[in-house]
Amino acid sequence: MISSVNPALKMVAILIPGVLLSFSFDIFTPLAYLIFVVAFTFMFSNIPVKKWLLVFTPFVFLALGFAWMTMLYTSEGFSGGSVLFEFWWFEVTTGGLMVGISLALRSLCFVALSLMFILTTDSTKFMLSLMQQFKLPPKLTFGILAGYRFLPTFKHEFEVLRQAHRIRGIGRAKGVKGRIEQFRRYAIPLMANAIRKAERVAIAMESKGFTGETDRTHYHHMTIGKKDWAFFASIVGTFFIVIITSYQLGYLNIFGRQF
Amino acid sequence: MKNQHLNQGDMKRSNLTPLIRVENLSFDYDKKGPSLIHNISFSLNEGEVTLLMGASGSGKSTVSLCLNGLYPEAVEGYSEGNIYFRGQEISQFEKGELNQQIGIVFQDPESQFCMVTVENELAFTMENIQTPREEMASKMDDVLEAVGLTDLKERPIHELSGGQKQKVALASVLLLEPELLILDEPTANLDPVSSLEFVELVNQLQKDRGMAVFIIEHQLDDWISFTDRVLALSREGELFADGSPDHVFQKYEKRLVSEGVHLPKDIQSSSLHPATRTTDDLGGETVSIQNLDFKRKKKTILSEVNFSLYQKEFVAIVGENGAGKSTLLQVMAGILTPNKGNITFLNQPLKQWGEQSLRQKMGFVFQNPEHQFITDTVYDELAFGMKLNGTPEQEMKEKIDELLRHFQLQNHLWSNPFSLSGGQKRRLSVATMLDETPELLLFDEPTFGQDAKTTEELMSMVLELKNKGTTIVFVTHDMDLVDQYCERTFVLNKGKVAFQGSPDELWKKEEVLVEARLRLPYRIRKQRTEAGEVYDLVR
Repeated sequence: MISSVNPALKMVAILIPGVLLSFSFDIFTPLAYLIFVVAFTFMFSNIPVKKWLLVFTPFVFLALGFAWMTMLYTSEGFSGGSVLFEFWWFEVTTGGLMVGISLALRSLCFVALSLMFILTTDSTKFMLSLMQQFKLPPKLTFGILAGYRFLPTFKHEFEVLRQAHRIRGIGRAKGVKGRIEQFRRYAIPLMANAIRKAERVAIAMESKGFTGETDRTHYHHMTIGKKDWAFFASIVGTFFIVIITSYQLGYLNIFGRQF
Repeated sequence: MKNQHLNQGDMKRSNLTPLIRVENLSFDYDKKGPSLIHNISFSLNEGEVTLLMGASGSGKSTVSLCLNGLYPEAVEGYSEGNIYFRGQEISQFEKGELNQQIGIVFQDPESQFCMVTVENELAFTMENIQTPREEMASKMDDVLEAVGLTDLKERPIHELSGGQKQKVALASVLLLEPELLILDEPTANLDPVSSLEFVELVNQLQKDRGMAVFIIEHQLDDWISFTDRVLALSREGELFADGSPDHVFQKYEKRLVSEGVHLPKDIQSSSLHPATRTTDDLGGETVSIQNLDFKRKKKTILSEVNFSLYQKEFVAIVGENGAGKSTLLQVMAGILTPNKGNITFLNQPLKQWGEQSLRQKMGFVFQNPEHQFITDTVYDELAFGMKLNGTPEQEMKEKIDELLRHFQLQNHLWSNPFSLSGGQKRRLSVATMLDETPELLLFDEPTFGQDAKTTEELMSMVLELKNKGTTIVFVTHDMDLVDQYCERTFVLNKGKVAFQGSPDELWKKEEVLVEARLRLPYRIRKQRTEAGEVYDLVR
């Protein structure tokens, strides 16, 4: 199961294909990899399909938007090939279309990879594993965790503030100027409270013996085992298999250079 | 029983070297002017329960953080004098070493944790003091059992109630196995029954483990029965009393009252008498609520609420945390819309009121005064409503002058509202609602965490308004306040009105009280104890 993979290694496994994919400008490579990532996600995790689609779908539209813009404004280096159609002053070429579709597929790959990470990773364990595997200082990791706890409180406080202002006779802000003014009115009490709370938490942490030093024992001992490397190998390995296949079939295109 | 306990305390004191010795401690955030804490000296003895009193803002919490060496470094303050832990100057301890000897539970349940679940939070403490991993699980189970939270081990902390959160804080501190346990107003944000539970838990743990306990508090009642010694801090940051509770309360009664400390009700009981609850001279109907339902995400918060409120009436809405009290208040104020039912305000449906005229006739005071401030100065804050209503300049100036005088804010006309003291903020938050005398004034737990003086000031302002004809509604946990001031009270339990009527009637209905987790006011408890009836809600 993906959820039990060491989070730090999981992050690396996802970052490698994520970064390398940005250089491939053909259609085959990202498409093949996208199919693999989606299949892998559903085979090795119990994320409900509905939940996944709910997060994924908006990005499909965003990706289509990207593709459309790229298609219309492809730089000359990529816009080779015959002219498909023209309207107004735009000229859409096969090269442009290819680059556009490729970009959309690449964006969807990033989204699918990120979802695979976010939906299967516990934030606490992620931080602990960054600290234990990558030697991130405890000061930083526990700081981030403490901040993470504030998110629900922040939302609640914002709600209360909105009500309090309504009681004082301030309705919904109108216009840009009104909105800026409203933001300023909300920001000061919210910030004042956040700073005070952060200070209190810091003091509470120190009073429980937290020093920020690295010599501490670990309740959750995060390890990297065979299963974690197996995950790493399948995610990164498959990526290179896809690249090689793409090269052999003659599709591979890196930065506009066909191989 | 109590005297016997005190004598034990006296004996302990004479036999042992002090656990903590504070000599001529002064502290301030900057070097200008008189210091916040001024030249105080005292000792805390092994195994002794000591209580520190003082009005809010007198520097009580600061003292506790000086004891474990976090202050002055953590806030870049200045301090003078010496503090010794078992004879050794605290600056000689290594970082984190002293914190293991001295555990602190803080006031705010929301901001003393850094992990999401109870389990991880407790683990955090043990990791800090390098408990070997093999021992962690059993230690965690032991401490959870000691505080009675075994079932909540895997729950996220933010889903717990305030009382449960404070128990988690206590548990994580106990894992340090401290010699001294400092409790910094740990029950200030809890409802009365949770608060009593917490106090009894501390009492039990102290007896079992024999550690010294240092309590900082201005609501003394529940603690005083097992306190060995009392210290009192003045507004000027000087220590003016140190001795057994009986001795201190006899000798310094007047001084304590003038400092704004809540005296134990044992001593001030002469001044506690119920309101004269006349319902004859009430005026017309202000609010009428019929068949009200309110749901939040399909979860029913309020159901079938029916009642009317009248002019010149002081009504309290009481009940456990989460019973729907604040929601009911917000629905009455028209800032939440009910799913079903009718609300009539001054004989006109609430929905038909224009926003501006509604806000003129109705005021709402929030629990945290800071939420209500929207401008940069006290003057603008008071003028805000009047400017919105288009009040003429001259009239506005006069009105503001009057409000400033009345609420003793003359010297802070151009101060930023956020820079005022706790009591001043509370007064200003009420003053902003009074640009015109409202017909209905709603308060959401206005006396929470306030010292005696602030509470008293607030109540006299409220009574004055009531006599002018305003209907007053308090959401509160303070049953003594209900007993002392209110004509009627509504008990909310799980979203339903479980009782409505005079508080005197309510005190007789034990079933309702137990169900809604309410405590009797001190006056009634005392009467019943004297009559020989044993009454304790917690067990």
